[in-house]
Amino acid sequence: MKKWSAIFAPALVALATTAPSSAYAAECEEIVLGSAISLTGKYATNGVHAKNGYEFAIKKIKENGGIKVDGKCYNFNVIYYDDESKGDRGATLAERLISQDKVQYMLGPYSSGLTKAIAPVTERYKIPMVEAEGASRSLFNKGYKYLFAVLSTSEQYLASAVTLAEEMAKKDGKEAGDIKVAIAVENDPFSLDIRAGVLEDAERVGMKVVIDEKLPRDLSDMSAILTKVKLLKPDLLVVSGHSKGAATAVRQIKEQNIKVPMIALTHCEAADVTGNFGDAADGILCSTQWAETLSYWDPVFGTAANYEQEFKSAYPEYKEKKVPYQTAQASAAVMVFMSAFERAGTLDKDAVREAISATDMTTFYGRIKFSEAGNNIAKPMVLRQIQNGEYNVVAPSAFASHGLDWPRK
Amino acid sequence: MTRLMPVIHIVLLALVIAAPFLLPDYRSSLSALWILIIVALTWDLTGGQMGYNSLGNIFFYGTGMYVAAVITIGMAYNVGEYTDAAGGGIFAFTPTQYFMGFGFGLIGAGLFCAACAFIIGSVTFSLRGPYFAIGTLGVAIAAGELVSNWEWVGGGQGISMPNYPGEQERLFTYFSFATVGVVLYIFLRWLYTTRFAAAMNAIRDDEEKAEAMGIHTLRYKLVAWAIAAFFVGIVGAIEAFQALHFEPLETAYQTINLGIFMVVCVLLGGKGTLWGPIIGAIMFHVFKEITWNYFLGWQWVALGALIVVTVVYFQDGLMGWLMSKKPEWFGIRVESRDTPTAEAAE
Repeated sequence: MKKWSAIFAPALVALATTAPSSAYAAECEEIVLGSAISLTGKYATNGVHAKNGYEFAIKKIKENGGIKVDGKCYNFNVIYYDDESKGDRGATLAERLISQDKVQYMLGPYSSGLTKAIAPVTERYKIPMVEAEGASRSLFNKGYKYLFAVLSTSEQYLASAVTLAEEMAKKDGKEAGDIKVAIAVENDPFSLDIRAGVLEDAERVGMKVVIDEKLPRDLSDMSAILTKVKLLKPDLLVVSGHSKGAATAVRQIKEQNIKVPMIALTHCEAADVTGNFGDAADGILCSTQWAETLSYWDPVFGTAANYEQEFKSAYPEYKEKKVPYQTAQASAAVMVFMSAFERAGTLDKDAVREAISATDMTTFYGRIKFSEAGNNIAKPMVLRQIQNGEYNVVAPSAFASHGLDWPRK
Repeated sequence: MTRLMPVIHIVLLALVIAAPFLLPDYRSSLSALWILIIVALTWDLTGGQMGYNSLGNIFFYGTGMYVAAVITIGMAYNVGEYTDAAGGGIFAFTPTQYFMGFGFGLIGAGLFCAACAFIIGSVTFSLRGPYFAIGTLGVAIAAGELVSNWEWVGGGQGISMPNYPGEQERLFTYFSFATVGVVLYIFLRWLYTTRFAAAMNAIRDDEEKAEAMGIHTLRYKLVAWAIAAFFVGIVGAIEAFQALHFEPLETAYQTINLGIFMVVCVLLGGKGTLWGPIIGAIMFHVFKEITWNYFLGWQWVALGALIVVTVVYFQDGLMGWLMSKKPEWFGIRVESRDTPTAEAAE
């Protein structure tokens, strides 16, 4: 009998909690969104983070009473396809979503590369796409009218790392011209723009770039580059290769015992480098689009900290790690759609496109306001350092909660 | 049979023109079929008719894509600025810029690829058999790697093409492909009746003897490959406009996909015939659409099985099989056993 109640009790609780919301949902109609996203292939980790972000936001909006358009109530429903982390597949699936599934609104895929492959397709059919995971500036110079991105562009990811490297070197009695920078990036639109940003900043300050290499295509080995790092002893090492690149970097930096005073990566949280590599990740600088410690707020999710908490209880697999910003910004993209539908007051595609374009809102993820080209120009990036297994914001100074540990041991 | 040929051709042409209107939902699939037909027909020009099995024809496809992109973008903007990872500016295209780029892009891609065939061919045609196959494959792979590290054309980011200015993009691409395909068919039909084709066949059957008979073999080989490269380059160029965005390793120089598919099409249909590659391409396309749609996850296994079965049991492809079963359909007169010739021999 005890056994039975153990099974029934949670089931009853689940029934009790879902019953009212499903009764409510029955009154709401559906707005169908489409997304081709990487569920397999080299971007699978982040593709899943993004999908969870979309789903979590949709669930929260539903619980909050749905989307009110012209007196009627709607909920989002997303059709997903797996793009296998391949551009041509993504483009084909976007076609399929639009022409076969008759999707009128798209959520973005994961990565700049996939967004680059899909954006011209949504443009071809004049389908508004709000994307959360494509940061390369090369996306925003093609004159696309239906592409909107909630995140900050790539050149901002590591700009503060370069500034910090300069400050620290000067403190150490070095001239800017003596600072040596090593860059290792994936050969894709996102990381090439990271590289372009670091090169611009380094040139402006007058630093010397001693290594400028591409990571191999599958991102699983960078030991040859690290051997070079060992020989040339740069003051700043920058690695960008999405989650897989971050994991490879942290693992091999430890294995090869690389000592560089400052190491800056992208995608630390998404790769869960602290959980996977422990101490090896200490002292590494990680750029992030969003941190749960920031003081943003909105009526659906509450504060950034609240978002993290609720997300973790909805997705227990994130319990032991950071909620990656990829998830947060995916939720923010859904918020943009919600707000645009409500402001447009109609489901007409062109009116909604105008409403998205006119967006100026504050969310738990930060402020969102689009430039003419479609990128978000209202939200800063922050830089965190892993200190004793914790991610602490160290730059820019307006958001910094901790001092920088330098040089990295 | 010969009297029926004009009628058959008119019916086929009518089908080609009507197809996108009869099957409006399959326009992009029909375009993809044309790509296969054209690359298979051109592959057979050297592989089937001349006995030089190139695995590097995909080089011309990728190069065609890039040449068309560079010409289209270059006529309107600075290519390096357009492809810069750091973005900057807005690069929009007017309809005139688009169509000028399309026209010059196609011609430029064809001519550039033909020139490449002459240059690469003068080295690789000193190889024979599997060495030629591997040598050309190496060229295609190396080109992909080089382009993916060439920043001026976007490197690993690939290139985005301008969007088609108008509504009927699918029809425009379909008829672009179809025109190239029909022109290629008519051209090859004529070519295969000339002395040039006889020389190519002589090279296939015995290159030493052909040379001994005074055929300048290298010249024939180069011209044949350049013709193939010209058409493949143009198809690549149209595909660049159709794909809108492409990157070097998986889309442009896709050695393991289209680079192999074109050979499979020819093997399926029958080497060294005019219709073999076309029928093979249609069979392969249908097979691919079915497996990629209904057996997803097993599609590569099914494709591998198809290749093995074809190579082991139908080495001459469908056309070869038909030719041995029904030779009279091909104008080959077979004399039966109890004919007077048999008696005369006694």
